[in-house]
Amino acid sequence: MTKQHANWSPYDNNGGSCVAIAGADYCVIAADTRMSTGYNILTREYSKISKLSIVHSALQMHDKCVMASSGFQADVKALQKNLSARHLIYQHQHNKQMSCPAMAQLLSNTLYYKRFFPYYSFNVLGGLDNEGKGCVFTYDAVGSYERVGYSSQGSGSTLIMPFLDNQLKSPSPLLLPAQDAVTPLSESEAVDLVKTVFASATERDIYTGDKLEIVILNASGIRREYLELRKD
Amino acid sequence: MRLLTELLGTPTEADLGVKGTTYQSQLPELRLKEKKSRSSLLLSIQETSSIMGSVAESQRTLYPYVTGSSVVAIKYKDGILMAADMGGSYGSTLRYKSIERLKPIGKHSLLGASGEISDFQEILRYLDELILYDNMWDDGNSLGPKEVHNYLTRVMYNRRNKFNPLWNSLVLGGVKNGQKYLGMVNMIGINFEDNHVATGLGNHLARPILRDEWNENLTFEEGVKLLEKCMRVLLYRDRSAVNKIQISKITEEGATVYPPFSLKTYWEFSAFRNPAAGAAGSW
Amino acid sequence: MSKSTVDLPPKGGFSFDLCRRNDMLEKKGLKPQSFLKTGTTIVGLIFQDGVILGADTRATEGPIVADKNCEKIHYMAPNIYCCGAGTAADTEAVTVEAFENEKFVLYCRHGQLTAAITSLPYRSRIKSCYSTDTSEETSFQAEFHNFQLNYQGYVQAALVLGGVDVTGPHLHTIYPHGSTDSLPFATMGSGSLAAMSLFESKYKEGLTRDEGIKLVVEAICAGIFNDLGSGSNVDVCVITKGHKDYLRNHLLPNPRTYVNPNGFTFPKKTEVLLTKITPLKEKVEVIEGGDAMEE
Repeated sequence: MTKQHANWSPYDNNGGSCVAIAGADYCVIAADTRMSTGYNILTREYSKISKLSIVHSALQMHDKCVMASSGFQADVKALQKNLSARHLIYQHQHNKQMSCPAMAQLLSNTLYYKRFFPYYSFNVLGGLDNEGKGCVFTYDAVGSYERVGYSSQGSGSTLIMPFLDNQLKSPSPLLLPAQDAVTPLSESEAVDLVKTVFASATERDIYTGDKLEIVILNASGIRREYLELRKD
Repeated sequence: MRLLTELLGTPTEADLGVKGTTYQSQLPELRLKEKKSRSSLLLSIQETSSIMGSVAESQRTLYPYVTGSSVVAIKYKDGILMAADMGGSYGSTLRYKSIERLKPIGKHSLLGASGEISDFQEILRYLDELILYDNMWDDGNSLGPKEVHNYLTRVMYNRRNKFNPLWNSLVLGGVKNGQKYLGMVNMIGINFEDNHVATGLGNHLARPILRDEWNENLTFEEGVKLLEKCMRVLLYRDRSAVNKIQISKITEEGATVYPPFSLKTYWEFSAFRNPAAGAAGSW
Repeated sequence: MSKSTVDLPPKGGFSFDLCRRNDMLEKKGLKPQSFLKTGTTIVGLIFQDGVILGADTRATEGPIVADKNCEKIHYMAPNIYCCGAGTAADTEAVTVEAFENEKFVLYCRHGQLTAAITSLPYRSRIKSCYSTDTSEETSFQAEFHNFQLNYQGYVQAALVLGGVDVTGPHLHTIYPHGSTDSLPFATMGSGSLAAMSLFESKYKEGLTRDEGIKLVVEAICAGIFNDLGSGSNVDVCVITKGHKDYLRNHLLPNPRTYVNPNGFTFPKKTEVLLTKITPLKEKVEVIEGGDAMEE
């Protein structure tokens, strides 16, 4: 029989965009819910946002960080499961939740561990640090990471990032003394901005759309909002 | 931060073959395994002389032999309905005509498969074992569709990690404790749940219809009608589809696979009867 | 190129001089340039009084939407319209070229659509429109076979062509690699499967005008919502004997979902340093008359 199939590839790109914005006392993490392959939509309702915590019944504390990931769904799922398991062990060992910067380092290590057969996932991690300030960590697929004030990853990131740069220009990391990277916006302004960038990215990026899921972390806990996006 | 695009872009095998040192070292082992294992997948590897060897030197091909076509499945009022035809294609030859691709799994689940038939049968053996071990606990509990689906996602993803995929798209439906469940997983481990799913060409041809016409409160009769509509379009437009179709359902009471039947088709358009009428001079 | 082109100067067609160089560069790892492609849904069907064509309005360039409201139904003759899918420039060029072709226009004028279609330079000259198994061996063939290799499938366009002539309504599809079809309903482009699934389950003969438009709109919407290469709005063109209705943006199913109620401010960054205007005349002396330029 002659060969009829293209070479098998262990990777796919399931598209989607993620955004995170850190404020003085809040953090907004958002992603669309479209999952696609090629020109096909697989499902319109797939959450790209993971809480990373299997809440231990004895520990009734609220979440400190969430991760939004796009890229290859199967790798993303494996990564989320790995982090959740490691987080559960941490909770058993230390009787507390992992801080957001600690989780950020763990994520980096986990990604680099597969340096030569990478997780094809593009992540932003958002949460509150030990002082209650918003923090955002942005990654590449093999674990290089950085703490920033805002970030965007995924198929629409090239459209979203310049707009965020324009609206939320962060102080140069070269400035001395070092300045806070958090954005000056209020929480509701940040949520509005996230809605706008996704509505705009949906206009021009074919892999972004269907629905927007927004997670807001602040001192009073975690809250979710949804916004319908274009479905074409 | 620059690393990702430069290193990966869209990753291809070539990327991995060139850059993946760990992967290269796996190659001889893979080949040994392949010799021992069943013949459904062919893995031919020309070993590269060096780690940075050219793309052309490192060649591996994997493809299925006997394949089944689309599976279409929906949630309906009382559970899950699934449909598949019974053809087994050997390339473009219709080699087998009575292949059952819908199988009940345990008490609460129903599995549909498209892709390599021998791999599907191997998966059925895995699941038999899984269900058997679960039964042996004798604790009054049994694995539900969610658990079985999760098991399948891990099996499929694990095999893709070994560069030795099970060449299938699987649909898993079921009902347990009043909860309906419908999900799918493909050969590289992509998995999700939805109210309706379709594999293979069904993704292109059946899901547009399902997205238009599906609703949560479909009765059994309406559900079957909707599936028949999808299967008819697939029959018209999917060259490997055959007009011998099975439908199965699963509810709280358990799974039923109905005997095969064929669909009524319509070929009487006048333009079909004399296709040259509209194009004088052609034939 | 073959020797015959040396003997006979080629009429029309492309120059292939650079193809071998391009192949070589591509093998050495140069990425070929990407073109604006209309990942598309285009459809057509025959109803009781004529033909209805439909198209979405999205043009893409890779994953980016290049045009949210482009036109894919092209005018060819008063009684003929044509939907194009593929590389935008090619579909445009092909339809324009057909329009400029004498024979085509002549046949159109005489109301012979079928003959007009078979005289298309596209269909005949391009290998992509001249596969020997489906095209006819008419008197045109002698003329065409000099040209048939001139485009060699380098033109990537798939067309759905519809019109009404003295013999009634006709609907044809032309595939990018050669064959043509004559059908009661047809779809093309990346959304063709989605659209076809609706046609296959709902089309019947003798549809009324309203039923026909409704079905075309549904088929295009199936493409818009299920195929990522298609999107935005629905264009429809209804052609009946001696009459046509071009319903541009017949349906707008994808309005923007969110606009920030407060708007945005963009800081002004470029400062104006000078507003003095220096007239050109003061610096340059213009000599009236002088030597006239050669034609």
